[in-house]
Parts: sequence; structure tokens; C-alpha cells
Amino acid sequence: MKALIVDDEPLARERLSSLLRDAGVDVIGEAGEGRAAVETVAKLHPDIVLLDIRMPVMDGLEAARHIANLESPPAIIFCTAYDEHALAAFEASAIDYLVKPVRLDRLRTALERAQRFGATAVQKVEQASGEHRARSHLCARVRGNLVLVPVGDIHYLLAEDKYVVVHTAKGEVLIEEALKTLENEFSDRFVRIHRNCLVARDRLAGLLRGADGSIHVKIQGTDASLEVSRRNLPALRKLVRTL
Amino acid sequence: MIANVTSSPKRDGVVPQPSWLPDFCSAQVLFAVMIVAELLVFIILIAPSDETRPLIPRLTTASVFVQWLALVSAVCLCKLRPRLERLAPWAGVAVAYALMLLVTVLGSALVFAIDAQLDLGLTLPAQFQARFVWRNAALCALIGAALLRYFYVFEQWRSRVRAEAKARFEALQARIRPHFLFNSMNTIASLIPQRPQEAERAIEDLADLFRAALGNDDAQSTLGAELDLVKRYLDIEKLRLGERLHVEWNVDALPASMHVPALLLQPLVENAIYHGIQSLPDGGTVSIDGRRENGRVEIAIRNPRPGEHARMGGRHGMALANTRARIEYHFGRRGELDIDAGADYFACTVKLPDESVAR
Repeated sequence: MKALIVDDEPLARERLSSLLRDAGVDVIGEAGEGRAAVETVAKLHPDIVLLDIRMPVMDGLEAARHIANLESPPAIIFCTAYDEHALAAFEASAIDYLVKPVRLDRLRTALERAQRFGATAVQKVEQASGEHRARSHLCARVRGNLVLVPVGDIHYLLAEDKYVVVHTAKGEVLIEEALKTLENEFSDRFVRIHRNCLVARDRLAGLLRGADGSIHVKIQGTDASLEVSRRNLPALRKLVRTL
Repeated sequence: MIANVTSSPKRDGVVPQPSWLPDFCSAQVLFAVMIVAELLVFIILIAPSDETRPLIPRLTTASVFVQWLALVSAVCLCKLRPRLERLAPWAGVAVAYALMLLVTVLGSALVFAIDAQLDLGLTLPAQFQARFVWRNAALCALIGAALLRYFYVFEQWRSRVRAEAKARFEALQARIRPHFLFNSMNTIASLIPQRPQEAERAIEDLADLFRAALGNDDAQSTLGAELDLVKRYLDIEKLRLGERLHVEWNVDALPASMHVPALLLQPLVENAIYHGIQSLPDGGTVSIDGRRENGRVEIAIRNPRPGEHARMGGRHGMALANTRARIEYHFGRRGELDIDAGADYFACTVKLPDESVAR
């Protein structure tokens, strides 16, 4: 059995690694935060991921959600030192977890039991933890490679056919998600300007009237100009005025 | 929680605040009494009657008379307060009430007698002495009851607010984040096989921290001891966070023997780690700078923090509000907690009066 250890504390990784060796498991890699964890899982294909919850960049719960969406995802065992909300959420959705310091016996049982969680199970945890949680990253595939785009870097999202094109300063990637669900999840970050387009609020540079009378949005840091639909114009005008 | 702070006998021995009788000598209460008295005067004068004398002279004489009675009552209650406090609450209230009535009856009788002697015609014709005294006593009985009740409710409310503040501040002291305890235990468990000496030191540091956190809630400490505690705390966190945590100390200017409430700084530094360093993948530097000038001692704690969307929610505000409450509790208006929250850094500065200069 191959395992990946994800924890932001070096000593915690060290200890888990030695416990796993004692339990006869191969540790094939380590990661210090959630985003690196998702990328490492996609690259190394471990059988099991031991995932800490509180980590910088991307926390364990969100990493689990991205991991569960991968092809043939590994089993996930959550580890946490103390996290009232997360623990209650795990109890509520009957997901197994370990508390630190981890006992060898307990680790063995968890390894035996390690089930595969689907994304729905993780979503259930998030619901049970009682917070509305928007992801910090969107997950895309570029030529078979996994790419995680920080939501804070996104300029705008443009729907094309069944894809959404994510535009950032570094270029564009395709994701297979519906614009509507993105709009709901990130309602405090993006604003709809057209049936097919969401724009990051903090990138709105202003409104321009074209020669044909149509209104366009200028996006900060790019020369893109995106058409505003008549329906979304009044709300957008109001928003631009408050900026 | 592990901590179960018991109330210390010392604290129970501190001057008990009477829960029903305010300090009638305080300007605040005297002012309230005078306002109520004046309102009473207005009510009496506005009430329809067959009085034909002009309003302004009546207002003046009535005001002087009522204020005089009110202030005499207040002064009596103020002087008798230590004795009243020794009685059972209901007896104390009864005595205070009777005292107000007595002052009113005697005062009214005296004023009436003087008025009749000098024939000033300020009160009522001579045959109405009983009516004058009796009516004044009745008014005093009604207003006095309302007033005592008001002060009773007010004092109750105030003592509840005080108790709440106290409870919060006890909870805070008992509170080094449980997260921190379990993470430290995990760190120590990792150290034992490879680096037992470091594990030993970590346990000593942890013991010191918890000794402070579980201590008496009114405990005083010195700035030197507090900084020491912060150092122990940071030593543990350095083991845990490794290369990600850097600390810059610049505290030589601080008076180590200055008295401060226990556990004043550690929660702020814990915040810096929890919301700052720990949330940054590459960590950063926590700087602790002490300054001493213009009769003030200032300790600034500054840390980098991630952008808004990557921040952890939590009790940031709570620890700050509690620290601010404790500074106010111990230093009054002379101490404060300044916050400077930037997009990518967070800084808080504890400002205290330099007591060695003040005294």
C-alpha cells in the first residue's frame, strides 16, 4: 500500500511517516499544504492520503474535495489535532478521522477501514460543519495535467459550449463546471454581466459605451472588453458606482 | 476545557459592591437625584390647581425646597451607607426608605414653621400644616420608592456586566487554544524517539505556559516574566513550524520589573502565529518591538498574513477584545491596544503607562 502524507508541520509528517512504516505502509511522498497535495496525488497515484485539516493555501477539506474528483481517487484519512467544527462534522457524516498524536493501533484500524469517499461525502462534511465554504481554487486539466487556479487570480469566467473558460493573468484554462453553480458558490467574488460571463468584482475597471450603443466592461490589467447584457446593466451600474 | 479556574478567597475578600444601594456621594448619583427632584418640582407645578401666584417665583421656591430635601436625604444615605450595608438587604432598603421619609417630614415641618413665623406666605396658610407635611411625605414615599427601585435595578445591571466581563476574562486566561495543546503534544511525541532533549525542553516550556494559563485570574505578573512566557511559547511553535517561523526580538528597552496582568502578551503572539505565520505556506517573521518614551511603555507585535480570501476565520476578534478589556480593567484610560490591519500584515500595539515615571 502506498501512502501520501499531507501536513504543514514537518515534525507531524515525520511522526506519521514512522508510524506508517511501522504499520507496513510505503510512504511515497509528502506535501505541506492542500494544493501541493492535490497535485502530488494526481502525479503519484497513492492508495491512501493522510490529510491534515488546517493548512495554509488550501485546507484539508477542500483538498479532499478536489482529490475525490480525480480519476480513481485514493482513500482519504483525515488527521487533526483539534478542531471542534471539523470533528463534529465527521461524526455527523460518519467519516473516519484520526486525532493527533495518532496512536499506532488507531492508525491500523483506520487503514483497514479506509473507504473511498466521494466528493459528496466531503461536501456532506462541509455542510455539517455549518459554514458556507467557497473553494479557494478551481481544478482544471491542461493536456492531461492537473492545474489548480487560485480563485483570487481569476479575472473573469466565460461560458463556451459545455465548458467555462477561466481567464487569469497567466492565460486561460477550461473547466467542466456550470457558470450558474460558480456564480452561486462565489457570489461575493464574481458578478454576472452577461448570460455567459462572470467578472471578478475587484477587477472591474469601468463601463464603456461602444459605437453601436452597446455597453462594455473594462477589466483591470487586461485589454479585454466584455459586453454587458441589457438585463444585467442596472445592477452593474449600481455596483460600479459604489466601487 | 482543562482549565477550571476556581475563585480565589482573596478575590472574595475584596470590598463587596452593595447590590442595592448606590454611592450617594458620587457626583453621578447626586446628579441623578437632583434631576429627579427637579422633575418632581415641574410635575407639581404643572398639575392643575387653583393656585394664582405667578409661576416663576413658585418654581424657584419649590425647587430650593425639594432640592434641599433631596440633598439632605442623599447626604444622610451616603453617610449611613457603611452601616446600611451591614444590614440584610430588605432591612437596609427599609431603613433607607424610612430615612428619606423622616427627612421629608422633619424638613417640611421645619420649613412650614419658619414660613409661618416669618409670614412669607411661601407654603400654605397656617391651618394647613398637617396637610403640607402629609402631602410632602406622600410624594416622597412614591418618588423615593421609584428611585430606590431604579438604583437597585441599575446596580444589579452594573454588577452583572462586571461579572460578565470577569467571566470572559477568566475564560480567556484559561484559554490557550486547545489546538495549541494537542499540536504541541504531537510535536513532543515526534521528538521523543529522535531528539529526546528537545522533547524534554518542550515539555518544560509547555508546563510553564500552562502554569501561567491556569493561574489565578487576578494574577499580576511582570513584563519580564510575560516576555519570558512569550519566548517559551514561541520556542514550542518554532519546533512545530520549523523553518516557517522567524522571530525578531527588540525588547531591551522595556522595564522588566513593571507590573502587568498575567498572560497579557501571549494571546496576541498566539494570534500572530495562528492567523499569520501558520496560514502562510512559507511562513514569515513575527516581530516584537518594545519602546519606552514619554511616560509610556509600548509593545508592538507585528506579523505578515495571507490575503483576505485565504484567511482562517475564528477568534481573532475575541482575543483582541479580551486583551483590550483587560488593559482597561487594569490601567483604565491610561492603557490601550492599537490595531493596524493591513492587506498583508497585522500589527497590534499594547500601550501602557510607564508606572516608574508616573510615581
